[in-house]
This record gives sequence, structure tokens and C-alpha cells, in this order.
Amino acid sequence: MSISRRDFIKTQAALAAATAAGTTLSGAKVAEAAAFDDSIRWDKGVCRFCGTGCGVLVGTKKGRVVATQGDPDAPVNKGLNCIKGYFLSKIMYGKDRLTMPLLRKKNGAYDKEGQFEEVSWDEAFDVMAEKWKAALKKKGPTSVGMFGSGQWTIWEGYAASKFMKAGMRSNNIDPNARHCMASAVGAFMRAFGIDEPMGCYDDLEHADAFVLWGANMAEMHPILWSRLTDTRLTKSGCEVHVLSTFEHRSFELADNGMVFTPQTDLAIANYIANYIIQNKAYNQDFIDKHVNFNATTTDIGYGLRPEHPLQKAAKNPNKGKFHKVSFDEYAKMVSEYTLEKASEMSGVPAEKLERLAKIYADPNKKVTSYWTMGFNQHTRGVWVNGLVYNIHLLMGKISEPGNSPFSLTGQPSACGTAREVGTFAHRLPADLVVMKKPHRDFAEKIWNLPAGTIPPKPGFHAVLQHRMLKDGVLNAYWVQCTNNMQAAPNMNEEGYPGYRNPENFIAVSDPYPTVTAMAADLILPTAMWMEKEGAYGNAERRTQFWRQQVDAPGEAKSDIWQVVEFSKRFKVEEVWPEELLAQKPEHRGKTVYEVLFANGEVDKFPVQDVTDNVGNVYNNSESKDFGFYLQKGIFEEYRLFNSGPDIIKKGHEMAPFDVYHNARGLRWPILDGQETLWRFREGYDKHVGSGKGVEFYGKPDGRAAIIFAPFEPAAESPDEEYNLWLSTGRVLEHWHSGSMTRRVPELYRAYPNAKVYMHPQDAKDRGLKRGQEVKVETRRGEVATRVETRGRNKPPRGLVYMPWFDAGQLVNKLTLDATDPLSKETDYKKCACRVVRS
Amino acid sequence: MSITGLVIHAVPDRTVAVQQAMEALNGVEVHKATDDGRLVVTVDNPNDGEAAEVFESFRNIAGVLSTSLVYTHFEQDHGEGEHVS
Repeated sequence: MSISRRDFIKTQAALAAATAAGTTLSGAKVAEAAAFDDSIRWDKGVCRFCGTGCGVLVGTKKGRVVATQGDPDAPVNKGLNCIKGYFLSKIMYGKDRLTMPLLRKKNGAYDKEGQFEEVSWDEAFDVMAEKWKAALKKKGPTSVGMFGSGQWTIWEGYAASKFMKAGMRSNNIDPNARHCMASAVGAFMRAFGIDEPMGCYDDLEHADAFVLWGANMAEMHPILWSRLTDTRLTKSGCEVHVLSTFEHRSFELADNGMVFTPQTDLAIANYIANYIIQNKAYNQDFIDKHVNFNATTTDIGYGLRPEHPLQKAAKNPNKGKFHKVSFDEYAKMVSEYTLEKASEMSGVPAEKLERLAKIYADPNKKVTSYWTMGFNQHTRGVWVNGLVYNIHLLMGKISEPGNSPFSLTGQPSACGTAREVGTFAHRLPADLVVMKKPHRDFAEKIWNLPAGTIPPKPGFHAVLQHRMLKDGVLNAYWVQCTNNMQAAPNMNEEGYPGYRNPENFIAVSDPYPTVTAMAADLILPTAMWMEKEGAYGNAERRTQFWRQQVDAPGEAKSDIWQVVEFSKRFKVEEVWPEELLAQKPEHRGKTVYEVLFANGEVDKFPVQDVTDNVGNVYNNSESKDFGFYLQKGIFEEYRLFNSGPDIIKKGHEMAPFDVYHNARGLRWPILDGQETLWRFREGYDKHVGSGKGVEFYGKPDGRAAIIFAPFEPAAESPDEEYNLWLSTGRVLEHWHSGSMTRRVPELYRAYPNAKVYMHPQDAKDRGLKRGQEVKVETRRGEVATRVETRGRNKPPRGLVYMPWFDAGQLVNKLTLDATDPLSKETDYKKCACRVVRS
Repeated sequence: MSITGLVIHAVPDRTVAVQQAMEALNGVEVHKATDDGRLVVTVDNPNDGEAAEVFESFRNIAGVLSTSLVYTHFEQDHGEGEHVS
């Protein structure tokens, strides 16, 4: 009897699937397959794509990742992956992988108008350092900047942030998470004084009802959706409510699907609060003990350039201040949002809205609310996030199994890196901010810096960086781990002119020649995913590590290697003024590398064999190059911010480095070695004082803030000239800008090009047929595409939807760079367009 | 060579019909169907290009609630290492 290798692999695949399905297989093949030695080395890893944070077992053979499987021991996904997981082992092996630095050159020297030529790392960093030093000398630290990523590993974000804020003394570092999570962060800080969800994915099995506000989980978070589906189908009385501005795949499971007019989610959420109050359904005891009432400043503008007419028209541009009100005053404010008004504004039938309100108001129903970009990418994103907290807080439906307002994330480490490490222009690690002197003092103490090193003024946020590049204010710029030319709004008027401004030098680190890389002056080849030791933090506060499985191709180097190596190019005298050096004369003559990384803290762990629990030994390229265990040193220094004895803000405690290499991730705060599943409630969260029941300890008074915010219109709405709403977003097959997924032939074939989803009647009215070539036009640009009137997304009349993954159809030529004035996050879901024959 | 193992969740009383529809697809094998509607499936693609289309066609089978991927294997050297016992 023989078993072919193909049969063997197939049996392995079937066995793994059976285990994940909770069943077993039997038979001769199974027994034989079990005895087959395939010499694949398996180790735990984390998916490279969305913020769910699925555990993946990575199979390596002859230095190449050849197989992956859902990790049956991973609590997040219990052995399952979504379809994108199919491509994980392929994303590193695209044909056009970059393996050498590429510099624009003419006649043997750097020239902004030159062609890309291969150069050594030395030449690349020589030219780059020269440009950075020239900018620093001419205009000071505000002329240099960095744009990073919620896909950076934790230590990459930390190293970059430290390099910029301490080394370069510039707060001009911001992550692409600004485009996806900033509104969520703003609302967490306002309501609770501490970032990230109080609940966890276990809510998926505990809730009696789920409400999706601007989240298409079926396509964007499929594994969480499969857990939700299980609960819906197996728990009697379980309901799913779905709200969106167009019908999508999550509606297939909806008991109450609601398509609303863009921006009127503000009115709907206020109506629900009003319903709860009118029916006296609120939890009086919870309100008395655990919340206070407030109202926010209104008429705050649209985060546009100050000279924009909409910005000039605003009475209180960019004002986030809120003030205390009484319960009665709050009740009066929401009383305007009656069922009739909410229904009329939103276009949602009254009975559907009432059904939604009732489920929240029923004290016996546990409700979990989910939202993603529909809420966050919103010119009133902070407000609308907060309006859902208001509902949960009125009912006391929070911080316990199944009762959970839960902000989902789109990137694997938007939480772990961008938010927790604090790679935003205004932040420092562990929820500290640059504006507060005690926070800067604390960071300077940990980093052994002279007092006053970290500037107090927030740097340029994502959208502002492009404006400042265009205006020639920001001149030396480094982008890592993100495709922001394609991702940022209003590319024609801001992004592209900014990159190509002759005054500027743009470096982009990426594994592939993305739209962003091709618009740069220097491209640095990057080691990705399993080519480096890494750590991500997912949406449920779970910190997860992986070991380096394979080596990067050619000269590609990880982002952290690039930052740390580049820091060797600067003498501290070149970046700090004399008055700082005088405070710490021991730093004189050192390089920035020596002050920040070879500082006695980050370099204190020697190179060691990295092993798993069966004794396999893994490479660590950075340890080899720098001569110390860089990742461990960074993580342990980072822990001084969240777990040290004198921390400023409690609640972010993490376990020691080595613990994570042996765990399937742990949810912070880690207290007495235990993870925390539900925060702020006694019995689940050890930070809550005995007898307190609930304590929102991020706030000095322990109370969460209910903050009233009214409906205010979108920045740009359809009119006679541009008569359709344009909403942008993702599709299942492609992740974000498609720089990884579009390089996988199967995925490319499955969904090769973007198209514009349109209501059949809207198409007919314009004389358009399905599949026809059209132009989508806005006041800022046009994009050629094809019409889709069927398929998975079904827009209502008056709205079109277009995904942004396609580098051949750059949707962000169309979008408006209007942001939430508080979070500075772009509204990618609303602008006015028209669709015409091409 | 690309081989994939999946779990398909079907409406329990339509499991048999779902199984039949799946087995009609090229390269698809159903190894087991449980009473509560879970199917253990492998997809074996002789050429690399079809997998995503097969997954998408699962969605269009009436009674399929969700498709989850469990195991994937890609290799270029599939002739190597034939095992005979």
C-alpha cells in the first residue's frame, strides 16, 4: 500500500478541518498519514491581515513558508481562518518583491527627477541622512516626519516613536491608524479616560442581541462573524440588527436590517437614548453611581484647511470641550430626536427603529454593539462613537459578558502598536500625551533624556502631513509599512503634489513597489511578517508574539532594523541644542543610536537561541546584526511605561516578554499573572476596588461620561451637479490597498478590479448597463471603472459604493479630505459624486 | 500544487443537498458531514488559479451559512518526496 504525498497532504488538510469542526475522521489513510514524516516545521503565528488577530500555525520547509493552518489552540479563532488566510503563505512571495534599496538617480547621483536605480544600504542611508540633516539645520525638527502603521509590530512602532520624539525631537509621527481608529480613541478617552474596549470576543457567545453600526463583519471580520453566526443559530431568541448606508452581506443574517441616509446615525443613536428615557427604561442605580452627564461643543467644522469655506463658516472649529449638564438637561436635549424625526431623517421605517430601541431598552437582553469604519471614518466620528456609549451607559449594559459596546479594528496592531505604544502625533506610550508636562517628564525619565527633549506641541497628523508636504513645511519624510498615497484622501490635490514637491525628500519602506513607493525618492526593501520576530495587539487587548520563521529575501530588512540602523547616522549634537546636552553631558559625542538603543536598557539582553517548546531553534536577524536581543530589550523598556512601579496611568499592565512567546496571546491588563476579560467591573477586573461593583478608573471620579452630541450635516452632500453619495471601503478578497493580496494570482483573479456598485434604477436613469465603462467624478478628480448593479453590495438609490484596493482605480483621487475635527480622521464614507458614461 | 481544508457550516436540514452540490465541483471532496450541518471539505487544485473561485462558488450554494478555511498547503516541488511503504 502506498500513500502519495498529495494524498498525505489532503488527509492532513481534512484532519485539521475535522478538528476545527469538532469532529474526527477515521480510516487507513488517516493512520498512515499520521505516521508520514513530512519534515514541515510548525510554529504558532498571528495572521498578517485584519484586527481580529487570528492565531495561525505556520509550516516551514527548506526556509520557505509552504503551509498555514488555523491554530486550534488560539482562543480567537479556534482553528478557523477566513478566506484571506488562504493567501498568508503566499504574500511574501510575490514576483516583484523588493530586495535592494532603490534611489532616484541621474548621472550617478540622487536626482528627484531621476529613475530608480539599485543602491547599497550605505548609499541609501547616506543620501537620506544628508537630506534629514539639511532639513533639521534649515527649519528645525518640525521639518522632518514619519508616517507609520497599525501593521508595524509593537517594537517597530516603539522604536520609530522613540527615534522621532526623543531622537529627532519631532512629534511629526503618525500612523495610518489615524485613518481607521482615531475617532474610536477620541471617544474612549472622552467617555472613559482610557483607550480600547472594556469587553472582549467572549461577548460573541454571551450576547442575546448584536447590533452592527457601520460594520460589515461578514466580509471584513469573517471569523468573528462565524462566531456570531453560531450564537445567532444556536441561542433561542438571539437577534441580529444591522445598520448601514447600503445593503451588504451582513444583512443576510439580519433579523432587522436598516439602510439609513448617510450621517443620520447621529439622529438614530440619539433617538434610542430618547426612547430609553421616555420609557424610563434606564438603569437608575447605575446612572447614580457610575456616570455623569455632559454636552459637547457644537458647530465644530470639518477638519479642512483653515481657508476652506466650510471651516470658516464654523462657529467653534475643532473644539472638543464638553461641559457638565444635569440628567434633565440631557433628557431635554435628546427629546428632540423622536421616532418620527429619526425615521424621517434616516429613511428607516419607524417600526424597525423602534424594534432596535426596544432591544437596547430591555433590561433582560444582553446587547453587544459592533462598529468599524462606518462610525470612525465620519466627520462626527468621536461624537457618534460616544452616542453608542451613551446608550449602553444609560442601561448599565457594559463591562460584563454579553453587554458590550465594542469598537472593532481593521489592522492587526492598530491597538497594540498605534494606540498602546502611542505612535500618534500627540501620544506617548500607555495613553500618555505630549501636551502634559508630567507625561513628558515621565517619558524623559524612562528614556534617560534631558528635561525638555520631547516637544509639547502635537505634531502633524496624517492628513496634515500631506498638506504640509505640499506647502513645503515638512521636507524630509519617511513612510513605513503602509501605502498612504493610495490610502489618504484627496490624492490629486494634497498627497501627490506633496510627495513630488521639489523641496521634499520622501523615503518609503515596503516589501513591494506600491503606489506610495513609486511616488517616493528612495524605496527601502522591507522584511515582512514571518521574516522577523514580531508582536501584534488585537482589538480585544490581546498581545500576541511570533518567532522569525524564515529569512527575508536579498537585502530586505525589517522596519525596526531600518530605524535603529538609521539612528547611527546622527550625532546627538546634530539633533539636540546645547542646553539639552549641558543637562546630560554623558551623552556628548554619542550617536542617537547610542542614546536611544544602546542605552543600557534596550541592549541589556544578550543574543540567545530563540526556541519553541519542542526545541526548534529560530533565527533572529536583528539580534545578529546589532549584537543584542533587540525585540526583548525594546519590549521590556516599553513595559516601564505600562507595568513599572511608578506608572502614571494604571490599567495597561503587560506580562514579561518571555511569557508571550509561550502563550496564545494575553489580554491586558495582566494582573497577578492573569489576563483581564472585562474591564471596570468587580470580579473581572482586579483594578476595581472591593465593594465598588463598577469603577471607570480611567476617570479621576471613577465615572464614565455620557456626552450629548447633536446631528450635524456631512461636509459634502449630493446636489444637482454631483447627485450621488460616494462611499468607499473594502471587499473580502482584498485587504486594504491590495499591496499584498493583489499579488496573489488567485485573489487577483477572484476580484481583479474595483467597480462601482450602483442601484439598478440609478444606472437606468443614467442610461448605464451592468458592466459598462463609466467615469466616477467629484470636484477633485475622476476615476474610470465599470458599473455593477448586482452582487454582494446593494446600494439604495442615491448612493454608490466603490472599494479602494485597486491601484489602477485610485478612489482617493475622488474623496474629500474632510476629517473629524476632534480625531482628525478622514470621512471616507461621504462625499458627493456623479457617474457618467466614459 | 495547492490543497486546502475547510469547514463549511450549512443549514442542518439541507446538509445532504449541500454535500451533493459541493461534490459536483472540480477538486472538491467532502470527508464528513455532521448532524448539525458541519462539513469537512478539501479542495485540491491541479492548477493554482481556481481555489478562490471554488470558495466563492460555495457561497452560492443554497444552505451554506459560512465557509472557513483551516489548512492550506502550497508547493512547487510536488513531484518530490513521494512516499511508498
